[in-house]
Amino acid sequence: MMHAEDLVTRARDGDPLAQGKLMQAWYKRIYNFGYKFFFDHDLAMEVAQKTFIAMHRNIAFLQEVSRFRPWLYTIAVNCCREELRRRKSANAVSIHDLRPGEEEESQAWEVAAHRHDNPERTLRQSELADLLSACLRQLSEEQREVVIMKEYEGLKFREIAEALNISENTVKSRMYYGLEALKRILERKKITRETIGYEG
Amino acid sequence: MKDRPDESTLVAYHYGELEGEELAFVEAWLQQHPEERHRLKEWGDARTILSHLPDKEVIAPPIVVGNNHRSFWKEGYVRMSLGIAASLLVVLIAARLLGLSASYKAGEMRIGFGTTAPAEQPLSEERVAAMIQASLQQNNAAVQTAWEQDRKNLEENIRKNVLSSSEKIDALVRNVSIGQQEKIREFVGQLQADNLKLMKDYLQLSADGQKEYVQALLVDFSKYLQEQRRQDMQYVQANMSNLQQNTEQFKKDTEQILTSLISSGKTETQRSY
Repeated sequence: MMHAEDLVTRARDGDPLAQGKLMQAWYKRIYNFGYKFFFDHDLAMEVAQKTFIAMHRNIAFLQEVSRFRPWLYTIAVNCCREELRRRKSANAVSIHDLRPGEEEESQAWEVAAHRHDNPERTLRQSELADLLSACLRQLSEEQREVVIMKEYEGLKFREIAEALNISENTVKSRMYYGLEALKRILERKKITRETIGYEG
Repeated sequence: MKDRPDESTLVAYHYGELEGEELAFVEAWLQQHPEERHRLKEWGDARTILSHLPDKEVIAPPIVVGNNHRSFWKEGYVRMSLGIAASLLVVLIAARLLGLSASYKAGEMRIGFGTTAPAEQPLSEERVAAMIQASLQQNNAAVQTAWEQDRKNLEENIRKNVLSSSEKIDALVRNVSIGQQEKIREFVGQLQADNLKLMKDYLQLSADGQKEYVQALLVDFSKYLQEQRRQDMQYVQANMSNLQQNTEQFKKDTEQILTSLISSGKTETQRSY
């Protein structure tokens, strides 16, 4: 990924064009990380914006360009945790917490629509997504962080350990118990490969 | 080497991040432990199911990216300096067109437009003192005159006011006195009339009361006499009735005595025979 590393290098050197392109390249990933953490569009947007503001301010201090990805996820995780603390201290309850599975509508420029999808298929996918969201929400905060980073963001265990500032073995242990918990939750909800076979 | 892989090793194996001896060891161990292999298969199934949670499509908000390499003429300090220079130039041109002139001489600053008038003879210290003295004398004389005139006017006004007030007070006292005499007369007349009326009423009330009292007394006395008479009559009747009863009783007793005497005489006669 020489091209990506070059972009990071130029961004680190203060090139605002490179920083803008970097944000464009990573915005979707960071947004989805935040979304799968909170399952709330507004909070995910908040996390993404804070992450890239922090990136802009601190990228000059990035030591190794090759570690940009775990470094960026470190910022994102910290933003998520800060938001979680703020919500807990404010004792805030979002509409999504009251009615999980019902996701709020987004602005057209924020979320692209799949105009050409089959409506029935879209509905099934939406229902399945709601079910899986509920499953992920049942994991502990630590397990959810690791599972999202590994399963959806594709980070290596080493990168996750670096992003969370913990040992690699701890990451794997959290993954182990996260997978075990997910297996039990899916069994309890009777969600199997066969029941979602029509989706495959 | 341990007899079984730990949690971390199993997870690393599941995600294909094991190599070399460790990988061989785990594979051999799983061959011997099908239940653990089944567990890993279940993890795989769970991950497959999780993969059906798609990413949300989102477009990064539009941002304006600036360019760091600004030209020399766009630097802040250069622009400010140019602005100040342009302002000074405009001021100088305007001054030239309007004939602005400025001078400073003997502690006097003069700014003017067009041709300037010649300066007046400067005032000396003695002249200023004389002007102040003359002004003071003139002012004092005017104040003295005004004061005298005011005093006279004030005395005249006071005299007139005193005379006028005295006359008014006398007239007022007279009017008050006359008015009071008339009021006293009216009051005494009214008082006499009221007393007379009260006396008449009192006497009238007194005569009527006495009359009623005497009439009531006579009526009561008459009633008393009638009652006394009635009681006397009842007493006499009662005494007469008692007398009659006593007479009758005496008569009966006498008859009984006579009867008994007669009976006893007959018995004695028979014995003697």
